[in-house]
Amino acid sequence: MRLLNKITLNLLAISLFSFLMGMMVFYFMLRQQVDQNINLELSKRALSISKVFDDAHSSSSQTTNLSDTIIITPITQPRVAERFSDTLLLNPETNKYSIYRQHGFVKTIHNQNYYIQIFKPLEETDRLIIRIVILMNILVVMIILTLIFANRYSSRQDWKVFYDTIRKINNYDVNTHEAFILQNSDIKEFEDLNRVLFTMTERIKNDYLNLKEYIENASHEIQTPLAIINSKMELLLQSGDMKEKQYKTVADAYEASNRLSRLNKTLILLAKIENRQFPESKPVNPIIMINHQLESLEDLIHAKKIKITKNLESEVTLQMNHYLAEILLVNLIKNAVRHNIPGGELILELSEISLRISNSGPPLQMDPQMLFKRFHTSSASPESLGLGLSIVQKICRMYGFSVRYSYENNLHCMQVDFAKG
Amino acid sequence: MKILIIEDEKPLSDSMVEYLAEEGHLCEAVYTYFDASEKIGMYQYDCVVVDINLPDGNGLNLIRLIKSQSITLGIIIISALNSLENRIEGLEIGADHYLTKPFHLAELNAHLKSINRRISYNGNNQIIVNEIRLIPDEHKAFVHDLEITLTKKEYELLLFFISNKNKVITKAGLAEYLWGDYMDLADSYDFIYTHIKNLRQKLLKKGCEDYIKTIYGLGYKFELN
Repeated sequence: MRLLNKITLNLLAISLFSFLMGMMVFYFMLRQQVDQNINLELSKRALSISKVFDDAHSSSSQTTNLSDTIIITPITQPRVAERFSDTLLLNPETNKYSIYRQHGFVKTIHNQNYYIQIFKPLEETDRLIIRIVILMNILVVMIILTLIFANRYSSRQDWKVFYDTIRKINNYDVNTHEAFILQNSDIKEFEDLNRVLFTMTERIKNDYLNLKEYIENASHEIQTPLAIINSKMELLLQSGDMKEKQYKTVADAYEASNRLSRLNKTLILLAKIENRQFPESKPVNPIIMINHQLESLEDLIHAKKIKITKNLESEVTLQMNHYLAEILLVNLIKNAVRHNIPGGELILELSEISLRISNSGPPLQMDPQMLFKRFHTSSASPESLGLGLSIVQKICRMYGFSVRYSYENNLHCMQVDFAKG
Repeated sequence: MKILIIEDEKPLSDSMVEYLAEEGHLCEAVYTYFDASEKIGMYQYDCVVVDINLPDGNGLNLIRLIKSQSITLGIIIISALNSLENRIEGLEIGADHYLTKPFHLAELNAHLKSINRRISYNGNNQIIVNEIRLIPDEHKAFVHDLEITLTKKEYELLLFFISNKNKVITKAGLAEYLWGDYMDLADSYDFIYTHIKNLRQKLLKKGCEDYIKTIYGLGYKFELN
């Protein structure tokens, strides 16, 4: 749930609750005020009625009904003192019970005690109270709604910076060479957040760059000792006066140090692609390169009796670094030859939008996603560094190409889409 | 051939001197920019092997100095920095080859041989080893004066063998020579095996002696007795 919605809902809940409570309190208070008012009125009338009785000379023992709203009952025992209460009476006009405020008091006339009750209808005032409450309700609801919408609108403006920051962090890539710039805000918390984030990303970036630089320097520094080891072993192998066992030992060590050299060189290449140290790009004709590569692998293709099908659109040019384009194609084509089966097929398709290289072969034994992982090799070819496809992916990413793998009809297919994707 | 080796790492320099001396070259080694510029001023060389990163200067400047004195002199750059700009700059100012450390001595030797052919015969040359004759400029090979049709790679392979005759050639060295750096060299060894098998068959068919010996687990040797 978005923070803004959450805040709005909280606000709504709190205001509705307090509004309901407030309304209840308001209602009862209003009610009490009105009752008091009526009581006062009834008291006044009681006084005037008493006066009427005092002046009269009547000695009737019957209940005198002065009007609808007065009931006079002669009593023998003096009743309790005067009191106010609510009561229901039958309204003769509508023939319905309706609520009345009643005031009862005792009056002594000529030694005769009378209990006098006077009434005032409450229906009218009740209606009035309800109307007032309803109006109040509407008013308050409107105020709340206005407040919430105004709040949402202004909050959204205030939170804009925050959402922008979130979006930027989400898209943050320590590898990009763009600066991490956050929007300014006049809200202190957001300013603080942005400042902290900025220092944090700067620090991460610096650490990352330092580490990368360290690795690169290390890789470069390793080259010279490796060159010494390799050359010494090459000399040792030429000496010829070794026993076969010693020979084997040196050969193994030599093989390992060669592997290390290749690995190091490839890792340096990967780092360079990542650092975009191949900036110069020019139109490249992939067909010439593809044909060149096929030519250089000609013997092997021939030996494996691989059938080549070419479907290359001649007008295609790619804006790329020449060297990287070559590395990309070498790795893809060589893979397709290497993993091919004897008598298999190699299909090359090139169009404006994509390059597809397919080769025959048994299905993969592993997760296709692992193909692009560094150092992931099938155990069958221990000489492989498992970096070929990783390089392919890096180059593709640099130019905004996308590369994907699929397997259908017994064909492994590597497709490079030139459009950004 | 008289070769000046400018490399500040003494052990590496020693290896080069030893390997090349066995090939009959006359090698001199210097370890600093200063010494190198002094030697270049005083003596004549056929070829210079130069490291770009010297403790007291840049090897590229040395190349400019060398080229200002002699145009024909062969130059091979060896560098730990495999930057494209360096490579291009080096080749532009007149270097013949650019090798990235670590490199194979056999490869260095093969490059020196080709420089040697360029400067001694002005390119108009042929290589004769017993019954085998190669014409490098035309990429042609003959056995007993009968031409054999070789693919480009087979030809390069044969030339590499002959340049490093009687030496143990490792598979890794061959792979790098034939395909360059930066290839995932997985089963390049199979590739090499295929190439060598074909080359050997073609040579034997024309009545050539079997010079290519397999050294188990390591590589090959082009053995002439």
